[in-house]
Amino acid sequence: MSTTHTTEVINPSVHNDLADLKPEISDLGLRRPDHSKNVIIDWMTTVDHKKIGLMYGAMALFFLLVGGFEALVIRTQLMVPENDLISAQRYNQLFTMHGTTMIFLAIMPLNAAFFNFLVPLQIGARDVAFPRINAFSLWAFVAGALVINFGWLLQALEMFGLFTASGATAGMNDFVPAMGWFGYAPITSTEFTGAGTDFWIMGLQILGVASLSASLNFIVTIINMRAPGMKMMRLPVFTWMTLIVSLLIIFAFPAITVALIQLMFDRVFGTNFFSVGGGGQPILWQHLFWIFGHPEVYILVLPAMGIVSEVLPTFARKPLFGYAIVVFSGAVIGFLGFAVWSHHMFTTGLGKIATAAFSLLTMAIAVPTGVKIFNWVGTLWGGQIRFHAPMIFAIGFVWMFMMGGFSGIMHSSAPADAQQQDSYFVIAHFHYVAIGGILLAIVSGIYYWLPKMIGKMWQGNLNIWVGIFTVVGLNITFFPMHFLGLLGQPRRTHTYLSGFGWESYNMVCTIGSYILAFGVLLLVVDIVRCFRSKQLAGNDPWDARTLEWATSSPPKVYNFAATPIVNARDGFWADKYGPENRKLGEVDESHGIHMPSQSWMPMIASAGFIPLGLGLSLMQAGVPFMGYVAILGLVIIALGISLWALEGPGGYHLHPKKESN
Amino acid sequence: MSLLSLLLISGCDLNTRMSTFTAKGPVAETQLNLFMLTVWVTGFIFLAVGGVYVYVVIRFRDKKDGNESIPSQGHGNPLVEMGLIGVSILLLVIIAVPTLQGIWYTHDVPDDESSLLGSWYTNGDLSEADAKEPFIIRAIGYRWWWEFEYPQLGISTANEMVIPAGRPIHIELRSVDVIHSFWLPKIAGKVDLIPGRANSMWIQAGDTIDAWAKKAEFEGTDNERLLAYEQYLEDEIYDYYYGQCAEYCGDSHARMLFRAHVVKDEDFYAWVNRMDAGHAEAPEGMTWDDWYASYDETPEELTGDVHEGLKLFMGRAKCATCHAVKGNPRAVGVAGPNLTYLAERHSIAAGWLNHRNDDNSVDSEAQLNNFIKWIKDTDEVKPGNLMWKAKGAGIGELDPLLNDEEIRKISLYLQSLQ
Repeated sequence: MSTTHTTEVINPSVHNDLADLKPEISDLGLRRPDHSKNVIIDWMTTVDHKKIGLMYGAMALFFLLVGGFEALVIRTQLMVPENDLISAQRYNQLFTMHGTTMIFLAIMPLNAAFFNFLVPLQIGARDVAFPRINAFSLWAFVAGALVINFGWLLQALEMFGLFTASGATAGMNDFVPAMGWFGYAPITSTEFTGAGTDFWIMGLQILGVASLSASLNFIVTIINMRAPGMKMMRLPVFTWMTLIVSLLIIFAFPAITVALIQLMFDRVFGTNFFSVGGGGQPILWQHLFWIFGHPEVYILVLPAMGIVSEVLPTFARKPLFGYAIVVFSGAVIGFLGFAVWSHHMFTTGLGKIATAAFSLLTMAIAVPTGVKIFNWVGTLWGGQIRFHAPMIFAIGFVWMFMMGGFSGIMHSSAPADAQQQDSYFVIAHFHYVAIGGILLAIVSGIYYWLPKMIGKMWQGNLNIWVGIFTVVGLNITFFPMHFLGLLGQPRRTHTYLSGFGWESYNMVCTIGSYILAFGVLLLVVDIVRCFRSKQLAGNDPWDARTLEWATSSPPKVYNFAATPIVNARDGFWADKYGPENRKLGEVDESHGIHMPSQSWMPMIASAGFIPLGLGLSLMQAGVPFMGYVAILGLVIIALGISLWALEGPGGYHLHPKKESN
Repeated sequence: MSLLSLLLISGCDLNTRMSTFTAKGPVAETQLNLFMLTVWVTGFIFLAVGGVYVYVVIRFRDKKDGNESIPSQGHGNPLVEMGLIGVSILLLVIIAVPTLQGIWYTHDVPDDESSLLGSWYTNGDLSEADAKEPFIIRAIGYRWWWEFEYPQLGISTANEMVIPAGRPIHIELRSVDVIHSFWLPKIAGKVDLIPGRANSMWIQAGDTIDAWAKKAEFEGTDNERLLAYEQYLEDEIYDYYYGQCAEYCGDSHARMLFRAHVVKDEDFYAWVNRMDAGHAEAPEGMTWDDWYASYDETPEELTGDVHEGLKLFMGRAKCATCHAVKGNPRAVGVAGPNLTYLAERHSIAAGWLNHRNDDNSVDSEAQLNNFIKWIKDTDEVKPGNLMWKAKGAGIGELDPLLNDEEIRKISLYLQSLQ
């Protein structure tokens, strides 16, 4: 479909070309930053879900590299026994920040990048329901990431002799979080850890705000903004998974929010939720944390399943096998995900009955997970499998995810888990899920959708090498860890004695981690090459099935010149190959396309989180005047949100010419 | 592929110091059996599903034969779905039933007569209440070392526990600071020590005589049975076992190890009696009264490395502020490990510094070096530990710090604790 338009100026606020769009004056009397010529201002004030998605993706990829670097230092330290490359304290900071970074700053925002870019396109909408809240979620995420990582800055300043904790800042120690991403009380109390824990608490809290607001936005978008005929059971599976994940976030994050508030109160105001001396219960933290933490696992993995459920049908040229049951099992996984949290706590003395119940429920969750795998295999059955880059990674995903699933079944037997818990066996398990599963699916998604996002096509065969290095590296790194765990090596240990039979395995793991890292590096190179590619992708380079491929690459700011009317599941495929009554229709929109105005306010409001988070953290450490900084942060947030409400929604109309093909 | 690599790697030694593959007690054995069951079941699924998957990917690849026709757009088959769900559930039930049995069995000491302390303990009198309980050891976690109390026997030790083979033991798990986890892989999987929470577990090194006879289908007279059982313990169970803290507990988590000597009843009783008596005499056979009279009035008369080491231990180095040595009436500190018969242990610094020979004797030269290293570089060996930095008692606060000669003397004194 070509995308030529003619100008039809109906009134001053109606445009068809963004170039001659005149910024309007908002209700506050200020000029709206609509489509600034300054690229940086344009991106900072954008409310376009596609730009926001790309920014999520870029930042998440950056943090993926940061977390990967942290992992490489960890593996280098563990290469030989009794190594003293880094200190115990540094190691503990690294594994804490590796986990925190990968979960909250890499995988979740990578998923968010896909949600943002794809969901409105897949449902035939022009944007998300609340474009400015969407921008707010993005910038709140950035604020949270900065607060969590603030300790590294102090650490670096200290290393270069530019900062020492003395005088007014004497109360500061342990700038970088070092209590594990799980932060088990009471090691998070002020008795055992310093300012790093406060940065971590405040950072996670801010990230929670970002995730919650984004999730509400997606739920409303998916429920309300579907194109005509896009019934729920016609939604692409990726959109379905987005909906389920958003619901999981809405229900799971309050648990960690409460836990973090309690922890913050313990630290800042001396309450006794978790401190034994005051009658508190450390075990309470674990329950609250895992009531969030286990659904979080599915928050991470369901989007990956969604991506694969899009890629496999496209490249097998068949509909997803058992669409309804795949969607339903995703929902069942999400639901059961709330009922298995204590399998992270089999060694905490739950008692026989609770252990038995959580053991059985954990086994039960293997059923819907297995169903998904069966259905993916069924999708391929009878297809015409084309091994393009996205498909290679999707096929790898199914295989590696299955491996992670098997060790998951092994954990579900509580007595067997008593030997596996907190050993390298667990590390092997969840890295097969996290890298073999989630990361491979995300790479598959990048290869699949990046041409749509930037309009350019991949070049050459580097993708095959990316696949070889990541899959081989992942297996060399993590397969031996099953044995390391069963041979008794505990997790989270910065070094180990020789003579326990762990040396050769650790050496192999470390070599594998470098191979894996090289694969990720090649991926980055390939992405850069794609951006520099001269070859245009066209609307539909893969002969795909869903609506996002029906529009231009990259899509125009308004996504679709005319809102499509959907008459089938896999609507775009039906449009190409289906009978006449299944083809896409077009909604008559002669009044023009209403587009939202850009705004500074989401970014200003979320910028307030930085002084708020840092102020509360440093106040705990005894740095003077930090309470006022925190109050300043609150004022900025309140001001940002108020002005946001007062500036009015604005908006303008575009009249693109109906496409003529 | 993975199964193949599993076989390849298992060519490596699976009987290492903390291997869960060589279970040496009923708890670890139950856990290992369950693990192997999950391996077989998932291995079967792996072959079945993985086989079909590989077949499908190869069989239905695009032949590149120019045939551009669209494949049949079939979108599911409820019968296939239901069948596969049914099979999945069936396979899980195979794991679930023994799992439930295992949860109940591994939870606590078996509820029978022979599990009670009174049924086997023949080393002196027990109170009536103690006799009707299982044998109890209280494991207390500190950052970063272990205290092992034997409340029924009135003794206490640190980092190296001594336990009798074939006897069920109820372990009370307590922590004074953060969460730790007690893991002795060959004997039992881990259970956490959580502050403010009364957790417990049970362990047993080797089978009881009845369980062993049943398993080995032994037939013979009682005496033959006893001899054969003793031989089994000798061959397979009496040993030096390695354990470690398995829950992240801060800076030196990696250096919070422990050991368990599994010994025959007679050796256990002898150890208990020695620990109970403590060091009845001061160095060179002096009575403690005489020694302290001299220490208080004429300390310069106490010469020689060991005497001078003990003087430092009680005086300038402030060791006794935190450490107890049973027998020594003024060394009654409770904040640090109990040092009674310290020189008989095969490791110090919670298992990090080792001086054990293969024949289970102590390498005294290595031991002396370890004492010196530990006192000199305690903050490096175990970063963040209290012996270095405790307010008012840390040796890192001494001004001047202990010099090499003083450290050597203290070490020689410690080596005399045998």
